[in-house]
Amino acid sequence: MWKIFSQYWKILIFEGVKNTIYLSLIALFFGTIIGAFLAFGRMSKFKPLSWAVGAVVEVVRGTPMLLQLYIGVFGIPMVVPKEVRPDFLNDYFVMVAIVLVINSAAYVSEIIRSGIQAVDKGQTEAARSLGLSGFTTMTQIVLPQAVKNILPALGNEFITVIKETSLASTFAVGELMTKYDEIKSVNYNAFPAYIVIGIIYFVLTYSLSKIMAFVERKMKHD
Amino acid sequence: MIEIKNIFKNFGKLKVLSGVSTEIKKGEVVAIIGASGSGKSTLLRCMNLLEAPTFGEVWMEGRLLTPVDPYLHEEVIEASNTYKKLIGEGLERDAAIAKIREEDLLNEKFSIAEGKEYKGKIKKIYKENSIDINLARRKMGMVFQQFNLFNNMTVKDNITLAPIKTGMYKGMGKEARAAAEAKAMELLERIGLADKADVYPSTLSGGQKQRIAIVRALAMNPDVILFDEPTSALDPEMIGEVLDLMKQLAGEGMTMVIVTHEMGFAREVADRVLFVDEGIIAEEGAPAEVFGNPKHPRLKEFLSKVL
Ligand SMILES: Nc1ncnc2c1ncn2[C@@H]1O[C@H](COP(=O)(O)OP(=O)(O)O)[C@@H](O)[C@H]1O
Ligand SMILES: [Mg+2]
Repeated sequence: MWKIFSQYWKILIFEGVKNTIYLSLIALFFGTIIGAFLAFGRMSKFKPLSWAVGAVVEVVRGTPMLLQLYIGVFGIPMVVPKEVRPDFLNDYFVMVAIVLVINSAAYVSEIIRSGIQAVDKGQTEAARSLGLSGFTTMTQIVLPQAVKNILPALGNEFITVIKETSLASTFAVGELMTKYDEIKSVNYNAFPAYIVIGIIYFVLTYSLSKIMAFVERKMKHD
Repeated sequence: MIEIKNIFKNFGKLKVLSGVSTEIKKGEVVAIIGASGSGKSTLLRCMNLLEAPTFGEVWMEGRLLTPVDPYLHEEVIEASNTYKKLIGEGLERDAAIAKIREEDLLNEKFSIAEGKEYKGKIKKIYKENSIDINLARRKMGMVFQQFNLFNNMTVKDNITLAPIKTGMYKGMGKEARAAAEAKAMELLERIGLADKADVYPSTLSGGQKQRIAIVRALAMNPDVILFDEPTSALDPEMIGEVLDLMKQLAGEGMTMVIVTHEMGFAREVADRVLFVDEGIIAEEGAPAEVFGNPKHPRLKEFLSKVL
C-alpha cells in the first residue's frame, strides 16, 4: 500500500486531489449562490415562480446524480447540432462541473429554505409590527438566525459533494477516482489502491467536518 | 385613533371574524375578552394588518391601511353597473344600495364588469387616503404573548433597531445611533433593567423579556400599543411586574388595546371592554357594566367560567 502511495503520490495528490477539490469547490460555491436564489424563488409569493422553482428542485433531487451526469455529458451535446454547438458542451470537465453545480444548488436551496422557515414566525411579526420593511427584517433578523440552522446542514452537503465527485470518474475527468483507474491499469493490483483512495477521501471529508464543528462552536458563543 | 369598519376575516373556509366595527379613541384603554379561539388575536392583528382582513377597512388617524371596500362607500356603489341596472329596473336609490349590500351583488373579482367609473372611484379613494403600512405600523406598537424579542441581538439592540432603521432620529449615522441608545437606556432605567442592556434575551426571565418588549414598542413613540395576551406565557409570580408597567402606561394616557384573560386587570384599567364571540363583538361597554351586569347569555356563561 505504501508502495502504491510512494509510487503514485504525484498523480494522486497533485492531480487527483486537486481536481476533486476543484470540482467540489466549483459545485459548492456556485451551488450555494444559485441555491440561495432558488430558495427565495421557491418562497416567493408569486406562485408561478415558486411552482416552477419547486418543480426543478424536486426533479433534480428525485433523480440519480449519475443519470444527470449522463444527460449533461452525453445527452445535451447530442441534441445540439454540431454547427451551433459551443466548445464547452464538448468539454467533459465543464459539463460535469455544471451538473454538479445544478445538483448541489437544488440541495442547498432546500437547506436554505428550511433554515429560513425554521426561524420562529414571531421574530418576523415583531419586526414588521415595528414598521421595519420585509427586506430589513430578512437581513437583520431572519437571516442571522437562519445561518445557525443552515451552516451545519451546508457542511454535510459539502461532504456529500466531495464524495459525489467520484461519480465524475465515469467520464475520466481526472479527479481522485479517475486516478484510481489509472493506477490500477498499470499496477494490476487494485486492492491497495482502493484503500489509498479511500483514506484520501476520508482525510478530506473528516477534516472538513472538524472545521465545520469548529465554526459551529464559534457561532454558538454569540 | 384606530377605526375598523365591518371587518371580516376568513382562513380558508373557517370564518373567524364576521363583521366587526369599532373605534379606538385617543387615550382610551380597550380590553378585548372572549373564549379561546373566538378570534380576539385575529381582531387585534387585523388592526396593524399582521392579518389582512378579507373584507372591511382599517383606518388609523384618518388614513386607510387596507384596500378600499366598495360596500362601505355609497358613492362607489352608485357608480357600479349593478346599481345602475337596479335603478333601471325601477328601484329607489336607498333600496338599491341596501339590496346590493345585503346580497353582496358587486362583482369584486372582475371589477371591470362594474365599469370604469366604479374602478375610478375606488382608485380615487385609495389614492387620497391610503398610507404605507410600514409608516402606519411605526405609530402602532405591538406586544406579543411570546415576547418575540430578537434572539440574535442584545437587549439594547432590540430596542434601538427600529428607531435607527426607520430614521426616527435625524442626523448622521453615529448621532442617530447615540440618540437611539440614550433613549433605550432611559427606557431600561425606567423598568429597572439598565444592567441588562448588553445581554442576549435568552438569559432573561419571562417577566423581564415582556417588559423589554414593551419598552421596545415605546422606543418608537407610538400613538397606540396593541397587546396580545401579554401575561399568558408568564409564570404567576411575574405577571404583576408586567401588569404594573401597563398600568403606568395607561395612567400616562397611552392608547392601548389589550387582549387579556386577566379580568381583574381589565376591570381596573380598561375604559371599555369588548366581548368577542362567534366572530362579532357580542357585547361591549364600561367594565362595570360588562362585568357587573352582563346581558348576552354567552357573556354570562363566559364570566361564570373565568371569574
Ligand atoms: N393563520 C391562521 N390560519 C388558519 N387558522 C387560523 C389562523 N390564525 C388563527 N386561526 C384560527 O382562527 C380562530 C381564532 O383564532 P384566534 O384569533 O387566535 O383566537 P383567540 O385569540 O381568541 O384565541 C381559531 O380557530 C384559530 O385556529
Ligand atoms: Mg389569542
